[in-house]
Amino acid sequence: MRRLVPLLFLLCSSLAAEAQVRSVEVRTPRPFGYFLGDLIRAQIDIVVEPGFALQAASLPQPGAITYWLDLRNVAVTQASVGDGSRVRLDLTYQNFYAALDARALEIPGFVVSFVSDTDKGATTAKAQVPPWSFNISPLREVQPPAREDPRSYLRPDGRVASLDTQPLVIGGAGFTAMALLAFAGLAWDRTWWPFAKRGGRAFAGCLRRLRALAGRGEDEAAYEDALLALHRALDETDGRRVLADDLPAFLARHPAYARERAGLAAFLDASRHSFFGPGPAAAMRRLPLADIVALTRKLTAIERES
Amino acid sequence: MKALLTPVSPQRAPLSRPSLMREFHSPAEGRGKVRARLGDALRRARPHLLLALPILLLLVALGFGAAAWRAERDNAAIAALVAGKDIPVSLSARAPLLLARVQHLARRGVTEEIEPLIESLDRRGETDLSARARYALGNARLRQAFDHLERSNLDPAGPLITLARQDYRRALQGRPDLWDAKFNLDVASRLLRDFPEFDRKTGDELKAEPKKIWTEIPGQPRGEP
Repeated sequence: MRRLVPLLFLLCSSLAAEAQVRSVEVRTPRPFGYFLGDLIRAQIDIVVEPGFALQAASLPQPGAITYWLDLRNVAVTQASVGDGSRVRLDLTYQNFYAALDARALEIPGFVVSFVSDTDKGATTAKAQVPPWSFNISPLREVQPPAREDPRSYLRPDGRVASLDTQPLVIGGAGFTAMALLAFAGLAWDRTWWPFAKRGGRAFAGCLRRLRALAGRGEDEAAYEDALLALHRALDETDGRRVLADDLPAFLARHPAYARERAGLAAFLDASRHSFFGPGPAAAMRRLPLADIVALTRKLTAIERES
Repeated sequence: MKALLTPVSPQRAPLSRPSLMREFHSPAEGRGKVRARLGDALRRARPHLLLALPILLLLVALGFGAAAWRAERDNAAIAALVAGKDIPVSLSARAPLLLARVQHLARRGVTEEIEPLIESLDRRGETDLSARARYALGNARLRQAFDHLERSNLDPAGPLITLARQDYRRALQGRPDLWDAKFNLDVASRLLRDFPEFDRKTGDELKAEPKKIWTEIPGQPRGEP
């Protein structure tokens, strides 16, 4: 019987049990060629009458079964076959028998209970899973050649492979490159170096000029230069000369700047006072240079959004 | 049938056409409006996105760099431990570094310091590294047992061999394909074999069946094929 794979055992413990538990079948991938520490798998199919359910508590518990055998895992699957129901147990054992010669070892059998609950009461059926055997082989010769130091029989302790840093370095370099690209995009958008001379950002260039002029303090010439710079920026944005009376038309052509209507009107008013009226000193009192810088900063933000 | 239908259909036709047109137009207009609003929102958000993107990317790059730097530092520690330098390692260190420390201690034979390190590996669910650490611990104990056996100290050698076998067994439970552990368990098992009959029965009624206890003694043909 040990030679048969799959092994088939039919169980006939009593007449009643024969009727309730139809068959018990033990299948193993191979009954030979196992070494110390190997996993031994077995598949047990139990076919029972419909209505009978497996009692989970009657299954073998994972753990050490004998001093040389561990049960590692028990997996249960249920399916209906024909008019009966099939319970399949997938058992994984681990063998710790250190064999000196090739020999057969027996895995002990066990009993699994099934219960059928009806109105008249519960019926219990027991399925006897028979023991089955497998052949194990030794790992070494019986008498290895004699050595001076018995420690040299042992396999070495092993070494730790060093951690692989390459993916981290590549990832870091890749993200740094992407960050640099994104910074370049930001610099282009904000007309930072080396994109200071790019077109389409008249107010940004004006703001840089105004900041340089603001550093010179309360200087009338600087104030006039600042007014002119903002005038040039407005002209460049519109593509034509923009004077105080042109403001409504300018805002109609560039509705995004309507938010700063009051600021622009104040600027054009100050400009008129400075160039065609009392002079820059009076205009500076109406609209200080700092206010022009603040206005230009807001215009720059609008310019970036449009 | 025809006579009934013909007066009805011309009446319906002018009614249905404008209603159809209206139904057809309104979703397209809505879609256009939604698209315009989306484009507007995107244009307005663009400066902020352009500002946030490089910062985010730089943070990720820094994270990668920090991880690479830590790995590089751990590699240096592993290399030093392999070279035999006694470098202290905390229980919270990276798992491969803990294993390197365990192997270093096992080489020096300091078995009592190894257990907490293996427990730390177990707690983290590092089954593979924990199995290799237990294997190294088993080796260290077996080497100690050999030291005792060489000096003919049989009494302390026995428990050490038993402990080493337990370590190998647990290593194999964690990693059944650790062939070095199988081999060394075989070596340890030949030094001290299990006595199954003693385990199973107690008392004085033990039958003297040398054949069953020492079943592994080879070279005795039993007359079976």
